[in-house]
Amino acid sequence: MILTRFFSRQCRLLFLALVFSLAAVGAHAEEIKLEAKLIWASNEPKSPKPEHKPVDKATEEKLRKPFPQWKYFFVETNVVQIIPSRGSNKFTLSKSCTLEITELEGPRVEVTLIGKGKPVHKTTKEISKGGWFVYTGDDKHESAWIVIVTQLEK
Amino acid sequence: MNAELMLKLQAWVDGELPASEAAHIAEWVRKDAAAAALAAELKMTRGFLTGNEPEVKLPESREFHWSKIQKAIERAEAEPSPREALPWATALRRFLVPVSGLALVAFLTVLSIGIFNRDTSTGTTDELLVEEETLSRHVETSTYNSQANNMYVVYIINKDVGDDDPMDLDSDMDEDMDDSVIQ
Repeated sequence: MILTRFFSRQCRLLFLALVFSLAAVGAHAEEIKLEAKLIWASNEPKSPKPEHKPVDKATEEKLRKPFPQWKYFFVETNVVQIIPSRGSNKFTLSKSCTLEITELEGPRVEVTLIGKGKPVHKTTKEISKGGWFVYTGDDKHESAWIVIVTQLEK
Repeated sequence: MNAELMLKLQAWVDGELPASEAAHIAEWVRKDAAAAALAAELKMTRGFLTGNEPEVKLPESREFHWSKIQKAIERAEAEPSPREALPWATALRRFLVPVSGLALVAFLTVLSIGIFNRDTSTGTTDELLVEEETLSRHVETSTYNSQANNMYVVYIINKDVGDDDPMDLDSDMDEDMDDSVIQ
């Protein structure tokens, strides 16, 4: 009788642990807030587009390390979107440049770079707050485009 | 008078002594006044107890009383025990105990792996696990991973310069920028 009661209690405790485990796993899957910036890099101190604003000092400092060939960085677009858990969202950065980002288990993200409506490249990796995921390429007239994806606090 | 003689005297009063010994005690009581007094007192006490002993009577006949007990025993034996009545509960319990235990262990393992991998912001196995796929035949890619700067860079290199550039991101700037990629 005592043995049965002991196992019954053990069973209840383990069952509760199972329920809490499942709840914790379910709670772990959550939406993420991401920011995507389209930046134009050049050696010209002024951009031909008057709406271009120079990037902030911290961003400029961080950009100088992987892009020492460029002196000036200007913000073209800045888009902040929420990616629902196990869902996708599109970041339209210009008429021809779009990012489609999907939140995956991990948490990892699948980032698809779309140029002129056609998929160009897809990357799946972990994303963390403070980390940068960057797409870049050379542009015409001695310049470059840079797309930075970062995770924001919700 | 010692205790042994007093006990023998009591046995004599109760009629428990053999005849030879009883005769000897009777002779002693007849001759000894103290023994006679004690014997008289013992007889009086015995008579008092015998006369006033409460007699408990059953409200029912002896046969009926025992038959009720027998029926109660038979009824209890006929009833199934709770354990036999709920075999599925026992089976479920036996199944859930190891399963939930395994689930708990698995969860804690996954959780601990996640915690240990997540706490280090750079250079973890997960961060280095990157899957890439080039989806356009017009471009090539190269990557740069800076753990110090917590930065992962993918360079898109256009193979067909002058052709239909897939990263010609804003054709509205063509007039100003001569087919610029970004603006």
